[in-house]
Amino acid sequence: MTRSFCRSIISGGRVLAISAAVLLLFFQQLYAAVGCTLNDPDRDVKRIFPQSTGYRTEFITIQEAGGQELYKKIEKELGDKFDPVYEAIDVPYAFYDVLKGKEVIATIHGVNQKGEYGGMQLILATDLNGKILDFFYQKMSSPEAGRFMNKNFTSQFIGLGLNDFLKGNFGIKDPSSNSSEDFQATLRGLKKNLILLDELKLKKAARR
Amino acid sequence: MKVWSVAFKNLSRKKIRTSLTIGGVAVAVAVLVSLSGFDAGYQRSLDRDIDKLGYHLLVTAKGCPYEAATLMLKGGGGLRYMEDSVYKRIVNDRRIDKITPQLVSSVYNQEGQSGRGAFTLYMGIEKSYLDLKPWSKFKYGHWFSGPDADEAIMGYEAAEVEQRSVGDKIFIPGMDKVLTVVGIFERAGTQDDGVIFIPLATAQRIFGLEGKLTGIGIKLKDIRTIAKFEEDLYNEPGIQVVSLAQVRGTILNLVSSARAMAGSVALIAIFIAIIGVTNTILMSVFERTREIGVMKALGASAADVFKIIWLETTIICFLGGLAGVVLAFSGSSIIEHLIRRFLPYTPAGKLVFIKPSLLLVAFLITVIMGLVAGIYPALRASLMKPIEAIRSGE
Repeated sequence: MTRSFCRSIISGGRVLAISAAVLLLFFQQLYAAVGCTLNDPDRDVKRIFPQSTGYRTEFITIQEAGGQELYKKIEKELGDKFDPVYEAIDVPYAFYDVLKGKEVIATIHGVNQKGEYGGMQLILATDLNGKILDFFYQKMSSPEAGRFMNKNFTSQFIGLGLNDFLKGNFGIKDPSSNSSEDFQATLRGLKKNLILLDELKLKKAARR
Repeated sequence: MKVWSVAFKNLSRKKIRTSLTIGGVAVAVAVLVSLSGFDAGYQRSLDRDIDKLGYHLLVTAKGCPYEAATLMLKGGGGLRYMEDSVYKRIVNDRRIDKITPQLVSSVYNQEGQSGRGAFTLYMGIEKSYLDLKPWSKFKYGHWFSGPDADEAIMGYEAAEVEQRSVGDKIFIPGMDKVLTVVGIFERAGTQDDGVIFIPLATAQRIFGLEGKLTGIGIKLKDIRTIAKFEEDLYNEPGIQVVSLAQVRGTILNLVSSARAMAGSVALIAIFIAIIGVTNTILMSVFERTREIGVMKALGASAADVFKIIWLETTIICFLGGLAGVVLAFSGSSIIEHLIRRFLPYTPAGKLVFIKPSLLLVAFLITVIMGLVAGIYPALRASLMKPIEAIRSGE
């Protein structure tokens, strides 16, 4: 009798400890290194996909997904070295799977990218094959930010996918007159974003 | 007689009731520990924030003291300005150990954050700023090349958000000004981490505030002269002086009502827990009246019965106390997260500071509470007359 009582107390304690550990992990994630999340996911998801009924958020780091080997692979595909401080292996990348009922209809994902005059936050909405459905700058500092953030420029990327960026020939012109570095940074950031989507999400889903 | 084993058996008969009572005690203890931890942690973090200001006094333009307190701790925007002649008049006062002028300006960038814009905080400083904040060390780079250079030193987090390195450019929207980053400070754990520092003269020129300041930080040679010094400063027109003690008091006043309410909740929770434990054990004694009568008829003494019942109460409080301290310790980061969301100002650093001694004290209080709560049910059970108890239980 005494043993069974102790057992019930211990099993209750176990549940408490597990719940505490899960909650702690959750909150640690919130305070982890700088990734690029949506400012207001409820508002942003609904704005981009008015037909959506909800979304599911997933944070993935290159470290967890494949470690140093994957980090090198992504760098090679990108054709550029990662910044060791701001593009470290443990940066958590946020992926928002957009739901319509139980069905995932798209993914929204963002990256930070160093621009000429400050950090940029490049947000993409892609379909389940990785084709761009929407693109916007969540943050940008530049004397010509208005030109970059203009729909006339950002909408030109709609319909493109990773293969187009790998080929690098899609005929989109630099909207600025003096900020070509920011244009190149935008292309690099978008390419990085699509590679990360491919490596961290699409390939994983295909393996399932 | 195996008193321990009988007490455990009795408790395990009604597992749900026992678990709920233990849960009630645990929640009460967790609330008590968390609130005491918050009280200690908040004051500790606030003191640390104030110490990290490096000032004894901040001179600002006349205005709302809350605004001045915010300026002092957060470097806020929408500010009032004073003439820098005030600085020139007091800089040579012999009572001053260190003094630094500063000009804070926040710039709204409509394109900074899609859909809602963003504020960036710029602070014009002179080298004396580092004398008052000796812990501000360079992680990368160095001080400005000149007093009027178009250069910037970034706080650690500002650099992280803007992804800047030494040699990069930053753009000040609205002013159409481009500066070169010459340094990045190490993480200080204060509001300075999010600020972009520029030379004072450059800030005055860029923001069109020549001859203006938002504040003057002062550290005195002898802190005991602060009252007289403050009084002398009030002869200067259009300024107000905010001392550390005032800032500390203002902030603590802002949260004191929340703290008082939370303290009352903790006391009520403890009171309810005590009543709950007493009630549970008393119910169990009433249910076992016949059994207690039989035990006594078979030779159990009044002391044995007292010990059993008293032990049951103590076990409940012991286990509840244990679960409570675990709950408080593991849940402190959640409490901290919630507090940060709801309080108007929260200092940097750990807000809920739970020392091992606090856990020990809370645990001991719970056990003592169990011993006290168990006296009445134990006495009642031990004083039962065997024949009457058997008869009434039939």
